[in-house]
Amino acid sequence: MSAKDSLPHGAPSRRRTPTSWARVAPAALGALLVLFIVGPLLRLLLLATPESLGQALQDQELQASIALTLATATAATLLGALMGVPLAYLLARRSFRGRRLVEAVVELPVVIPHPVAGIALLLFLGRHSAVGGAFARIGVEFVSHVPGIVAGMLFVSVPILVSGAREAFRGVDPRLERVARTLGDSPAVAFRRVTLPLAGRGILAASVLAWARSVSEFGAIVILTYNPQVASVLIYDRFTTLGLPAAVPAALLLLAVALAVFTVVRMLQPAERR
Amino acid sequence: MIRLDGLTVQMGDFLLEDISFEVPSGGYGLVIGPSGSGKTTLLEAVAGHVAPVSGRVHLHGEDVSSLAPERRGVGFVYQNYHLFPHLDVQENIRYGLERGALGPSSQRERVRELAALLGIEALLGRSIHGLSGGETQRVALARALAPRPTILLLDEPFSAVDPATRHLLRRELRAIHTHEKVTTLQVTHDFDEALRLGDVVAVLSEGRIAQLGRPDEVFRYPNSAFVAGFIGTGTVLRGEVTRREPAESDTPFAAWFESGPLRLEVVAEREGPAHAVLRPEDLHLSREPTPGSARNRFAAVVSRVERTGPVSYIHLDAGRPLTAAVTSASAEELGLHVGATVVVTVKATAIHLV
Repeated sequence: MSAKDSLPHGAPSRRRTPTSWARVAPAALGALLVLFIVGPLLRLLLLATPESLGQALQDQELQASIALTLATATAATLLGALMGVPLAYLLARRSFRGRRLVEAVVELPVVIPHPVAGIALLLFLGRHSAVGGAFARIGVEFVSHVPGIVAGMLFVSVPILVSGAREAFRGVDPRLERVARTLGDSPAVAFRRVTLPLAGRGILAASVLAWARSVSEFGAIVILTYNPQVASVLIYDRFTTLGLPAAVPAALLLLAVALAVFTVVRMLQPAERR
Repeated sequence: MIRLDGLTVQMGDFLLEDISFEVPSGGYGLVIGPSGSGKTTLLEAVAGHVAPVSGRVHLHGEDVSSLAPERRGVGFVYQNYHLFPHLDVQENIRYGLERGALGPSSQRERVRELAALLGIEALLGRSIHGLSGGETQRVALARALAPRPTILLLDEPFSAVDPATRHLLRRELRAIHTHEKVTTLQVTHDFDEALRLGDVVAVLSEGRIAQLGRPDEVFRYPNSAFVAGFIGTGTVLRGEVTRREPAESDTPFAAWFESGPLRLEVVAEREGPAHAVLRPEDLHLSREPTPGSARNRFAAVVSRVERTGPVSYIHLDAGRPLTAAVTSASAEELGLHVGATVVVTVKATAIHLV
């Protein structure tokens, strides 16, 4: 090979135009993957007959379970936002010792299998543990109680919320805050008048995603609190005890909720990316 | 009045060291230096966004070194303006007034006054997206001036606008400076701006002040080859100074400055290695040797002619590269084309040694 042949990319003359299969292959592989996602969901949606939906809507146990799921997911998201948004701001703006460690710890739940998280939480929050015992004395019980559901949801959704909010804060130029300061704002006022409005959409999108993650959680919750049953546990329970047909109406309803949330997030996101 | 006393600021690996200078009340100060010389950091330290390692910042006689930015009474315009993207033009300008003492009608009046001063009345209801560079600049300036700061800090305010707008804005800025009676400190990398705007200029090099003074003084008498080269005073030659009359011991004394084949008569204060600054306007060109007492007279060949309207810059080869400025009319008259041989005359007293 001569020196001329090893010209860096960008030398157009010796480039052969890609053969047609080279152009088609990525598209074909991609289409296969998209089909793999859409196919099962469509298959499930095809079962959405008036009867099955009517059945789902009359099923009071299912409705109670979905209401419980939405309420606990909302509680977990609010708790996560209360503690996570200030943390996200610190991670985005301040450099302090151990910042990278804190960042890593907050991301940790992503790599932990959810039943493992459930077992860890069970050991940590069980009535015979120090923490669980302390909560029990003030009347908060986790295992087999609603707070257990919230704890499981919080554990798995925190990475989404904190990293999303952190990126939203990073997207706000610190110089905008500095300008606000020279225009007379204290740090808190500048945060409220400039940072929050600009990062708000991104934080909201992160919160909705964290909420959706909570709604879809199963593995950690099933170990901490099998009863009362959130929707995912209820569907699993019906599938194992009554079989597939009994699980489908509940699955459909939960899928509808998930799709609605997804639509909301999609509507929030494009504006954020601009 | 802005007074910096031995200000030292650390920003990452970068150090701004021992910065001391003063801009008098109502004055216009410039800090000039190449990019990366710490100019923005210096302004941020004056505004209080960056805490200095040591040194003090005095504004109007008061030591504000430990005051928060919002209590210093400074207006700040960043290089890229940083208008608030979630607010429209009017809301941006009014931002610093909303939490102040003015009532809503006085606020509106102040916004209108500034809009009139800057010629942006028509923009008030507009979104900030889609404003031109010059418009954005004016809005940012109006926003900074609205709360009537006593100090205005400007970070390269003209770098993002086209040359025509730049000229206009410069003139406006000077007028606004007078109208608002605001002590101004501007950073720039353009010495031309310093000459046109500044009462006092500090030249920064590698985090330190290389020279401080009135812009015309700094321009005529740069104190180092760096300053002379950076502000474009003229050709800087490196050479050797020797006493012409070794017996005398006066200072300053008549001397020779030798650089390669060039041997120039100069007035020097010390012997040894030195830099000579030759300003383009001090090199006199003719086709024939002219009579007169000036003894620095040598031949050179025209290597390039640079026409910039009424003035032409003639680049010469005299064994060392030199640049002369002549009116374009006399360039024509003298037939100064590439390859022509000319006689260069320069007065000994016009050669500035550093």
